[in-house]
Amino acid sequence: MSEKTPNSGDLNNSKNEENALWSIVGYLLSGLVIWGGIGWGVDQWLDTSYFALVGLLLGAGASIYLVWLRFGRD
Amino acid sequence: MGVYLASEDGFKPPSTADFNLPPVFGDNPFTTKPVFLAFFSVILISVFFILSARKAAVVPSKFQFAGESIYSFVRNDLARDVIGHEFMRFVPYLFTLFTFILTNNLFGIIPFLQFPTMSRVSFPYVLALFTFVIFHYVAIKHKGLIAYLKEIMFMPGVPKPVYILLTPIEIATYFLVRPLTLSLRLFANMFAGHLLLLVFILGGEHLLQGVIGLKLVSPFAFAFGIALTFFEFMVQCLQAYIFTLLTALYIAGALADEH
Amino acid sequence: MTGTLNLVGYGLSAIGPAIATGMIFAAYISGVARQPEARSVLQPIAFLGFALAEALALFGLVLAFVL
Repeated sequence: MSEKTPNSGDLNNSKNEENALWSIVGYLLSGLVIWGGIGWGVDQWLDTSYFALVGLLLGAGASIYLVWLRFGRD
Repeated sequence: MGVYLASEDGFKPPSTADFNLPPVFGDNPFTTKPVFLAFFSVILISVFFILSARKAAVVPSKFQFAGESIYSFVRNDLARDVIGHEFMRFVPYLFTLFTFILTNNLFGIIPFLQFPTMSRVSFPYVLALFTFVIFHYVAIKHKGLIAYLKEIMFMPGVPKPVYILLTPIEIATYFLVRPLTLSLRLFANMFAGHLLLLVFILGGEHLLQGVIGLKLVSPFAFAFGIALTFFEFMVQCLQAYIFTLLTALYIAGALADEH
Repeated sequence: MTGTLNLVGYGLSAIGPAIATGMIFAAYISGVARQPEARSVLQPIAFLGFALAEALALFGLVLAFVL
């Protein structure tokens, strides 16, 4: 095996690729759950029905942006 | 198929109730089969590795070779390649984790035991809790509490108002989703695999008691059940590997310097 | 049989992202196999495509429970 010391920034390694894929799923899931949950809470509080959807869209957008920040730009 | 089987009297499709085993003795939740399997696996692993390491020779016996190849796999392929130069500190934990999960998973297809311990969700939860505590502890020790939290919460190169959007997601990912997905992945694979085997074996047995047309079909169900057992063997090894690999990667991330 | 149709709908909606993810990584793997030095260029693109496809799948998962 290679002698260089791998770290989380070194993506030319299939093990880090595996990690990156699972963390992408984790980011997307937590973005949807957190902001969707906040939207749902606002819905319960104000007696409306559209903030949950707004929260979900916001969470999806924010987490895709976060994935771009972590893995997309170089 | 499902509708047909449900209308047939007597056949109860396997469900989550099949995982709630009654206690072996007494009347408490601590003497069920999974608990004994976990203890049994500890004894089995200890005996195996003590015996394989006791008469260590330069030219290894077959037994010693088996023990040493498992050890060197965890040490070199998982710990050294992923964590880097400080890897020796974490080899004992990774090795214990790998052998424990692997043995308990394999109990799912070993005849007469035939119950994967990890299909009870509390076992993966506790293992993920260990990993969670260890990698946060290592990171805090290595970087300092404030610097570590700052690294988690604030990505560099983002306009300030966006942090309101991103920081909750980062916190949730590090402190909630990571340990949860780690344990649920192991649990769900073992649970679904055991359920799959139950469906084919119990379904085949039920077909055998039906009319002659159904009797002729049942060998196919059994054959598929046996094929799925080999598939399960692969999944069980893979899940033990992935759990250990992700633990090593989290520790490596905790040790990596900011860049 | 009892149950909720939401889960059937989620199962159907998960087919699309599943195919998409498969195609993304098939293209990524064959690209890297032909030209290994292109890995660092292809990787962010593959990961972003994966994130977009996976977002739809998780969106369906959350909606199946919320609605």
